Amino acid sequence: MLFNSFHFLFFFLVVTPAYFVLPCSRRWILLLAASCYFYMAFVPLYILILGFTIVVDYFAGIYIQNAQGSRRKLFLIISLVANVGVLAVFKYYNFINDNLSFLLHGFGWNNPIPYLSILLPIGLSFHTFQAMSYTIEVYRGNQQAERHFGIYALYVMFYPQLVAGPIERPQNLLYQFRQEYQFDYNRIVNGLKLMLWGFVKKLVIADRLAIYVDTVYNNVPNHNGNTMIVATVFFAIQIYCDFSAYSDMAIGSARIMGFELMTNFNRPYFASTISEFWQRWHISLSTWFKDYLYITLGGNRVSVPRWYFNLFIVFLLSGLWHGANWTYIIWGALNGFYLVFAIVIQPLRNKINAALKLHSVPKLHHGLQVLITFVLACLAWVFFRANNVTDAFIIIKKMTTLSGTVFTKNPSMMLYSLLAIVLLIVVESKQEFYKGSFSLYNNSHWLVRNMSYAVLVLLILLIGVFDGGQFIYFQF
Amino acid sequence: MSIINFIKNNLYAYFVAKTLVLVVLVAVLDFGLGNVLRHYYFTQQSGLQYRTTYSLNSTTAQVLVFGSSRANHHYYPQEFETQLHQTYYNVGRDGSFIHYHYAVLQAVLKRYTPKVIILDITRNTFEYEPSHYDRLSSLLPYYQSHPELRDIIALKSEYEQLKLQSNIYPYNSSLFTIAVGNTNFNKKRKEDIKGYVPLTKQWAAPLSIDTATTPYAMDSIKIKLYKAFITNCTTANVKLYVVCSPYFVQYNTPDCSITLAQQIAQQHNVPFFNYANDTTFTHHNNLFADPTHLNNDGAIIFSKLLLLKLNALK
Repeated sequence: MLFNSFHFLFFFLVVTPAYFVLPCSRRWILLLAASCYFYMAFVPLYILILGFTIVVDYFAGIYIQNAQGSRRKLFLIISLVANVGVLAVFKYYNFINDNLSFLLHGFGWNNPIPYLSILLPIGLSFHTFQAMSYTIEVYRGNQQAERHFGIYALYVMFYPQLVAGPIERPQNLLYQFRQEYQFDYNRIVNGLKLMLWGFVKKLVIADRLAIYVDTVYNNVPNHNGNTMIVATVFFAIQIYCDFSAYSDMAIGSARIMGFELMTNFNRPYFASTISEFWQRWHISLSTWFKDYLYITLGGNRVSVPRWYFNLFIVFLLSGLWHGANWTYIIWGALNGFYLVFAIVIQPLRNKINAALKLHSVPKLHHGLQVLITFVLACLAWVFFRANNVTDAFIIIKKMTTLSGTVFTKNPSMMLYSLLAIVLLIVVESKQEFYKGSFSLYNNSHWLVRNMSYAVLVLLILLIGVFDGGQFIYFQF
Repeated sequence: MSIINFIKNNLYAYFVAKTLVLVVLVAVLDFGLGNVLRHYYFTQQSGLQYRTTYSLNSTTAQVLVFGSSRANHHYYPQEFETQLHQTYYNVGRDGSFIHYHYAVLQAVLKRYTPKVIILDITRNTFEYEPSHYDRLSSLLPYYQSHPELRDIIALKSEYEQLKLQSNIYPYNSSLFTIAVGNTNFNKKRKEDIKGYVPLTKQWAAPLSIDTATTPYAMDSIKIKLYKAFITNCTTANVKLYVVCSPYFVQYNTPDCSITLAQQIAQQHNVPFFNYANDTTFTHHNNLFADPTHLNNDGAIIFSKLLLLKLNALK
């Protein structure tokens, strides 16, 4: 079920009022049933996979807590193997097999291992990582094992964040299922406003830009360098709006019922370094990798070469998490390289800044840093969006030529795209630089406030893309 | 006073009341803006949307050409009018499919009976592709005034009727097009001749050879509508010709849509002409604007050739 569908609208209009009508002690039943329905709206059978990992992790959590010594680690390993095993089979099996075939063909041999004809269960990487964070936290002693099977199942399956995050930690979410949330007008309005802005980002901005991006990226040979640059910038904005819109809708729909999910995006394109970009982009995944992989590997409390390795491997695996394709792996590796390279050349950057006296013009300096970070992010996005690695390199080669007239098959399509980008820049700049100043959306006068909501609804009706596709991150 | 006090003191009632205020505000703005858009949509004097309005509401031409962009750019009006001694209008529309052609036919037959209809079909014409149904949005502005189109529009999505409760929705993504259609911009840029839009570019690349046509799933609704198109024409005693106009691509494998379209046409005794790989055109890239569209010179030659066959059938 997509958030941007009438199916979800009806679902939401039934589940949310029912949630408040039910006594607090019974609400978990409604939420679990609703979450099952939500998930089964995609491919019903795949709930069995989810059920398998839920059962394994539920018992693993209890056994880890009850066991002593090396047996605790054994139960943790069983849980991690089960989760990673499911990921490996459903997400990476064919990719590994494909690469094995390629290697064997190089030696003139045939690959005897058959391909699996399976669909990737929706949101598999998200709920698997959330489930893994539970057993790891129980193992680390930061979380008590959940004895209530229904509540634990709900922790993994909570429908607002089930298929595309934010990837929650048990300490933040599990206890909330036992809270007695009352009907709170301000909180509900706040959640609805977040959802409305999410709809605008998805329907007016992301899906609009997707039309141009798909046209160009699916027909690389017929487009010139300047068109590629425009399409790549559009994709950078598309993927941000697409994914952050989902997070807004997830956080908003959970907030209406009283649940607070973690912030997932913090205006990443205002970051002045790649490191800061990753503190603002997909925060729930970045912190997951930091908490459970980077720190486990030793973080920065190791030798310098090992530190570089730790940084690089984390981003390489982050790329692999996104998809079983070399394009994602290169995207992750490139981001890892950016981070390591930034540290290596830090003294040189300081010298250049001093020579150019950039510190005396801090706003210009900051602006330049933001621009460079955006360009680097865009360069990496080429690999993320390209249909294959060959296409990605062709695109980058074309982009360096800066040649040709920008493709605009339909001028009005371009105008709507630019209008959507301007809207995003205005709203995000206001949030970033003028937080406490005049606001239409949060105005103290009810008419101004309501007019701003109404204008957003009209904007969706007027220039929203109603027949757009699903959210990009669903595939992960 | 008691109601106001009740609303103020009851959280649920307060929320419902506030929501109602917002709904009323949205409804009023939607009504106002929707009607402004409707007014300017129908006062357009040029462009794609104007041609659709003219096709549905005004044309009384004796010869009508149906189809997608290939229909719109391939049938030169003067040749048809001179040789058939009948009036002509091209109701073809860029990026449209059989759903659209069938809908326009319904609207036309409700008003009058043309003498000749040419239906231009393309390769992959019966391909199942959900996004093709999105193109039916071009008919949304006519939902209220043309009840005969409603069943076709309903194919777009299961919630189309609900979406159409909005007055703005039928004009979604049309703001700039409507604005331009109310100026002389289109007439200066790309004026149509009785619905026909000539292409002036010349294709420079050599003939491309398609050796690996990918198989595709057939759309039973499209096939059904194609059959209904033929049946409606024959019932109304309209002389129908189904044509696949030239491509500048050499296809080495037959297209299953074309084969099926030909079979269905033959079953209904409707003449079918296939020019897809006609050597008159495949040897001359200067007759094309791109591999799938003839330019004006190509359209004139093709129209003459087709008319020779049509006249021979008289």
